[in-house]
Amino acid sequence: MMKITFLFVIIFIGHRTVAQELFVMTDPASNVPANSLSINVMQSLLKKRINDGYNYHAMPEITYGLNKNLMFRATGFLSNTNRGFNTEGLGLYTKYRFLSSDDLNSHFRMAVYGRYSFNKSPVAQEQIEIMGFNSGFETGIVATKLIDKIAISTSYSFEKVNLKANPGLIKGTIADNASNYTLSFGKLMYPKKYKSYKQTNINLMVEFIGQTLNENGKSYLDVIPAIQFIINSQARIDLAYRQELASNMIRTTPNGFYFNLYFTFFNVTS
Amino acid sequence: MKNLKNIISVLLITLSLISFKATAQISKVEIRAMGLTCSMCSNAINKQLESIPEVISVETDLNTNTFVVTLIDSNTLSPKIFKDKVERAGFSIGSIIITASSKTVSDDQYIALDTINKVDTTVKFQVLDKGYLTLKEFKKKVKMYKKVQTFDVENENDFHIKFL
Repeated sequence: MMKITFLFVIIFIGHRTVAQELFVMTDPASNVPANSLSINVMQSLLKKRINDGYNYHAMPEITYGLNKNLMFRATGFLSNTNRGFNTEGLGLYTKYRFLSSDDLNSHFRMAVYGRYSFNKSPVAQEQIEIMGFNSGFETGIVATKLIDKIAISTSYSFEKVNLKANPGLIKGTIADNASNYTLSFGKLMYPKKYKSYKQTNINLMVEFIGQTLNENGKSYLDVIPAIQFIINSQARIDLAYRQELASNMIRTTPNGFYFNLYFTFFNVTS
Repeated sequence: MKNLKNIISVLLITLSLISFKATAQISKVEIRAMGLTCSMCSNAINKQLESIPEVISVETDLNTNTFVVTLIDSNTLSPKIFKDKVERAGFSIGSIIITASSKTVSDDQYIALDTINKVDTTVKFQVLDKGYLTLKEFKKKVKMYKKVQTFDVENENDFHIKFL
């Protein structure tokens, strides 16, 4: 037992490190480094549209880079949406980078991804959301371009919620699948010139997330401005606010705050 | 007894000098990585390079993404491990300059594209194969060395080098 504890300490303290993820809400086409393990907790406080108050969600995640092109992620879904703070489900995600073209201070990458989520929460909105809300799957494609200090990423995905797994609260028939599209911009604001790994980096980001229900064309579009601090080239702190710009579908909690803490541990197996 | 000690010391020193001259090894590697501009990404490469057991130190210039890797004596590393490590971090090599003992390049895996000044005990050279320089530069080199039959052939285990 002592040995295992010791090994655990060596792995997690001895190889503290980093990731190259940029955005808060959407995953870029870049993967986490091979043989690295990342741990993060995404917390959100989302304002209820109908009643007063906020719903609190926590999503702990563990991400593993198998090789330079393939990564896996498991996500736990916890929230206080359904009477008290409960564990509500689990999500599995994988991403395969199929294109990578690097140049000095720039790159272009493309990747495909898939996600399956199990969640015991009932369907309470028309918005299709399998991240922390309902059961279902999502599959998509993402392209990311980095030029000097600016990163641009865009994605398209198909998302389907399993209405049978979650007896819905909405009466009548509702759409069970949607097309999602995202467009994200990020810029390194500080430092202008690097001095060391210890220097805190500050990134500013803005992301646009849209969804259209394939059966009836109902849509929404949100904007998410964010600020990101990278501490010691090892840890990441993201603060973001999500604001609905336009929508003609029923949504329970479209607006709110996001707070993400992120750590990567390198070379977890030798 | 004292004489014996002296003889042993002299023998050891001679031996170490001989072995130093005779071993084929890379002593220093300067890598310019590409595809990144953030210090976290740079640290990802740094950690990958540090994970090579033969590495003594990695010095980084974050503004140019240049990594100077110092290696232990009598290692048997080839340039490929550095390419693999940078790629495992998620990036690629923009240029790689290697300092090695002159005996290193007499190994079959190295194909010299120009002549070498054999007087020196150490040599400095750049690897010009695909994956060891920018794609644009590689395409230029393919044209430049079209007479070298092995140059444009996909082979991970030979290295075309140019002395600096």
